[in-house]
Amino acid sequence: MPNNKLTIALSKGRMQDDALALFARAGVIVPESELNSRKLIVNSADGRYSFVLVKPGDVPTYVEYGVADVGVCGRDVLMESRADVHEPLDLKFGRCRIAVAGKREVVGEDYNLLATVRVATKYPRIATDYFHARGVPIEVITLSGSVELAPLLGLSDRIVDLVETGRTLEENGLEVIDVITESTARLIVNRASFHLKRAEVGALIEDLTQALKE
Amino acid sequence: MSSLTKIPAGVQYFFDDEVKLRRYVERRAMETFAGWSYDEIILPMFDYHDLFARGMGEEKAERTYRFVDRDGALLALRPELTTLVARTVATRFIKRERPIRLCYSGEVFRYDEPTERAAREFHQLGVEHIGEPNIVADIEVLLVAAEALTALGLNDFRIALSHVDFFNGVADFLKFDGAARAQFRELINRRNSLALEEFLGTRAAHIEQSRRAGFSRLIQIAGKQDAIARAREILLNERSRAAVDHLDKIYSTLISLGLEENFDVDLGDAGGLEYYTGLTFKVYVPDLGVEIGSGGRYDNLIANFGKAEPAVGFSFALDGLVGAISLGASQRQWHSANDAQTISFDGDLTWAFNQAREKRKQGKQVKISAK
Repeated sequence: MPNNKLTIALSKGRMQDDALALFARAGVIVPESELNSRKLIVNSADGRYSFVLVKPGDVPTYVEYGVADVGVCGRDVLMESRADVHEPLDLKFGRCRIAVAGKREVVGEDYNLLATVRVATKYPRIATDYFHARGVPIEVITLSGSVELAPLLGLSDRIVDLVETGRTLEENGLEVIDVITESTARLIVNRASFHLKRAEVGALIEDLTQALKE
Repeated sequence: MSSLTKIPAGVQYFFDDEVKLRRYVERRAMETFAGWSYDEIILPMFDYHDLFARGMGEEKAERTYRFVDRDGALLALRPELTTLVARTVATRFIKRERPIRLCYSGEVFRYDEPTERAAREFHQLGVEHIGEPNIVADIEVLLVAAEALTALGLNDFRIALSHVDFFNGVADFLKFDGAARAQFRELINRRNSLALEEFLGTRAAHIEQSRRAGFSRLIQIAGKQDAIARAREILLNERSRAAVDHLDKIYSTLISLGLEENFDVDLGDAGGLEYYTGLTFKVYVPDLGVEIGSGGRYDNLIANFGKAEPAVGFSFALDGLVGAISLGASQRQWHSANDAQTISFDGDLTWAFNQAREKRKQGKQVKISAK
């Protein structure tokens, strides 16, 4: 018998609460007791959905491989992963920008004057695509956090990073040079699940669309 | 000594039950193909790079493993098999009666981005039906695919049908050029409804709002016969309408054959446009997140090697079929019982090997054990 329960991968951390709140508005409730437990897989109250809470960058992987039918992750993560998944809904929360930033004194400086631009980032692909599209060769320095530190210590000329309010940048004497793209949370769907669990996936998309309109 | 401490990405070794299962799957699929009168063709492992570039397009041929012949000509390990079949049919089979039905089983070699999940070496099983332009060939290959899946015990499979001219007709109607067409297609392919609406809002601003809204619903046209009805609700031009009519005919036949459960219509699938010219389809099975097979009509390919000829075919990824069967772990019919008869060698070589040969004559499996 085909299993018609939907497995949903959620990003732990920044977006988790917003995502669960949206699901709750769409009638998918995860009991507190489940969430407070240390379980890695939690079930919705009605038993129709199970949620796996994973690191944000892993959500597209879980969905692309089909171990989760559906996932919620930022567009930034999705772009960086290049996962081959459906992306039917913009969930509107978790809004931020992926931007190129640098030290205040270099903001007006033309990076075309540099032979190679050193760029520190958590998004090596997005950074490479952005600069290459402008004909600028870059040396990518991949970091997993505190990217703002790189220009301050002279590790890089520029950074490509997520900017929410811009305060962290400001406090560290950095400024946005260019916004590469806006990012919000997206609902993503596995290509096979879209067909094999179409009724369930369709109902979830419908419920979320309604919740977003309210 | 890196050859002893490292393994090139994508290479695979198979042993034990995995080998038995792979051979079993291959055998069952090839038996099904033969049952529908598809003759096996064995194709060369490599050929001129230019041949594949002509067949699959430059971009795909970029992903081949290339090397140089003694005369300096560029060769490539075969990245797929259809091109080789097409060339054979267009040249050596020129005088044979049509239609020609061929099937194959073999590895193909493709370099993929490290992040892509496909292995660099993988095994395809497929059929090509050449010389028949009509719907009868389209339906035949769908039924061959369905039977092969059923023969393997994969009864919950789903084949999603689409038609390239549905998308092409809409893009023609909207007068999209190459770049806009590509972007339009990408948005449809990702079912990104919001971005699609925005895109149509700017790129198709000349179309009235209500019709535009219809086009942004393109991505939701997936389902059973209701999907065909919904496709008709969108105002269509001749090209799109012909595509929907064609799918309708195929789908009605599948329903009357009692196969509705296993087949879907998915007009939001706009893949493979460079290559396919009509029906396209993808094969899915439960709990395996990727398609395990795909196919369609490619009436323009063979013209690259000679006279234009209609053709339709599909291929399964052996890894996908094997993965699907392994998930339903109860399927053990492929597992041959290990009933080898052990013959202990106790000093008399002649006696031991005579025993062994006698048992072999009776068709038994033997194992010599030297104590």
